[in-house]
Amino acid sequence: MTDSLLIVRDLSMTFRRRSGLFGRRAQQINALSQVSFAIEAGETLGIVGESGCGKSTLARCLLRLLRPTGGSVRFDGVELLALGDEDMRRMRQQMQIVLQNPFSSLNPRLNGFDLIAEPLRTHTEMSRKEMTDRVASLLAEVGLSSEFMSRHPHQLSGGQAQRIALARALALNPAFLILDEPTSSLDVSVQAQIINLLFRLQRQRGLTYLFITHDLGVIQHISDRIAVMYLGRIVEETTSEEIFAHPQHPYTQALLSSTPVPDPASGGQRIILPGTAPSAANPPAGCAFHPRCSQVMEECRTLFPTPRATAPDHQVSCHLYDFAQYQRIAPTITIPEEERQQ
Amino acid sequence: MAILTVENLRVQFKTPYGAVYALRGIDLALAKGDILGLVGETGCGKSVTGRSIIRLLDENAQITDGKIIFEDNDLLQVDDAEMRRIRGNRIAMIFQDPAAALNPLFTIGQQINDVLRAHASEAREDRRNRIVELLASVGLPDPAQMVDVYPHQLSGGQQQRAMIAQSLAAEPDVIIADEPTTALDVTIQAQILDLLRKLQRERAISVILITHDLGIVAETCQHVVVLYAGRVVEQGSVAAIFADPQHPYTRGLLAALPRPGGRGADLKVIPGSVPSGLERIVGCAFAPRCEHVMERCRQQQPALAEMGSAHLSACFLHASAQYD
Repeated sequence: MTDSLLIVRDLSMTFRRRSGLFGRRAQQINALSQVSFAIEAGETLGIVGESGCGKSTLARCLLRLLRPTGGSVRFDGVELLALGDEDMRRMRQQMQIVLQNPFSSLNPRLNGFDLIAEPLRTHTEMSRKEMTDRVASLLAEVGLSSEFMSRHPHQLSGGQAQRIALARALALNPAFLILDEPTSSLDVSVQAQIINLLFRLQRQRGLTYLFITHDLGVIQHISDRIAVMYLGRIVEETTSEEIFAHPQHPYTQALLSSTPVPDPASGGQRIILPGTAPSAANPPAGCAFHPRCSQVMEECRTLFPTPRATAPDHQVSCHLYDFAQYQRIAPTITIPEEERQQ
Repeated sequence: MAILTVENLRVQFKTPYGAVYALRGIDLALAKGDILGLVGETGCGKSVTGRSIIRLLDENAQITDGKIIFEDNDLLQVDDAEMRRIRGNRIAMIFQDPAAALNPLFTIGQQINDVLRAHASEAREDRRNRIVELLASVGLPDPAQMVDVYPHQLSGGQQQRAMIAQSLAAEPDVIIADEPTTALDVTIQAQILDLLRKLQRERAISVILITHDLGIVAETCQHVVVLYAGRVVEQGSVAAIFADPQHPYTRGLLAALPRPGGRGADLKVIPGSVPSGLERIVGCAFAPRCEHVMERCRQQQPALAEMGSAHLSACFLHASAQYD
């Protein structure tokens, strides 16, 4: 774990809301509960989950755009939750975010140059000439010509606008990028362009990504590891290959089987979950997933399941695996004699 | 047997920047009891086609040519009163965002009651039972209570179910579903698609399902029409088109999707982006993005050519291709 760029431990975020007449009723919403994970430098962790599961709150807490109510976030060995505001601002040069809809995240009054140069003005002492060169090279890196310096967001297509947002995020040479549904508003053919670009940038710059999405096709393509969230908690976490080959949590299994596959011949059995995700303001007792779970047991209704390892690198929070320390037996692979000698 | 056919439909929009050619000659046929997928990227004319059929286009739209034949009538020729009788009663529509399509000021029951009052002959007291029945048939919990609930009290999936109940109220023969699950989470999307298939099976309703998601088409539809820049580039059975796509655009779309096992590999990309509709297109609209482009593609527009049983594709690469 020495290589981990980001280590998150028991991160919690509770929103307090006053409701009712004169705000007399105080309400607590646990948007994140004891979220723990680590990302190795140069790796991509995918976070998948449905609306309201806390994906975006997590992103905001990591950048301290929201102040988490508990836990620890260590970035490059520094505890972010203990930093003063000024130190945190400097730290954000290292950690940037790209949001879902570039047309709402980019200021419509600024042109391409100003959008990309803004972080340079804030954090560096570059001359105008240096800045122009830097912006031009950033544009080239995301596959746009220098012409785009003078274009405003409304003159861009969705894909072009997302490239500008990426160039802006890369301006200060961050080590870590949070990508919050960066391709959800794009068409399939453009989505493929942006995903390829993200891969290329990761290879060239050695970037570490936290990739948030609800699209399982995209996430398995881009992630080394995947964490599945449900109602503010990580319910399963493992490598990308493992989660698609051996999904353990009933929610993960349902999520995988609900995703339409562009192959009419696949015709697999679909698990259709009943009902909808409960509100974080009024979560069910025990495991939050139990009202929709087909394998619900008595203890699920009262006891929250603690994470267990069902394989050396596979954590699941589900009572089905309470006694399952490495229970799943990996298939034994016998290597043929002739191959062994090579 | 086709219940609805669209022939050479052309639609343009007047805008301050000039005319936008949204549909440039669409042909399609919806077979009775079928789910037909209408698929394509933003701006290809999917929704305009759906809205033209039910005659709910915006005021600046102009249908310049074509026919929409529904039971021997051309819907583009019938008068407004007759169209009102057909709309809702025979052909109903489900929209993408149920929160925007349902009226926030009225209860679900009142909104379904409006449809019943306009189209069905039941007496007032029978209508309430009918509404409860409809809400139950789309799988809403506590249908008797749901009658008096306002849209904001429902989740997105429940709102979409309520809208489907409303569209079923006058027992239509055809439902046009315009991206009915795009605003929903995948587990809820699976519920709604399951419901659509069940309705199609049990009530023999014919459905035009407008979507940008090829996964949804593969799992839900029997036939599919692929649109590009306001024209049909390929159509046929879902089995044929996914197993053996013929048009370079369809091939590109399928190849651009991230697939299991391809982790980290470069995705196949269709360079450039969809034309705006403002420019007059000469030749094949896909030519500027096509890897197989030939001189001819820039001058002539390919017509749909037979590729196999009920599988058509419009591309000069095919030996039998004619120009349009």
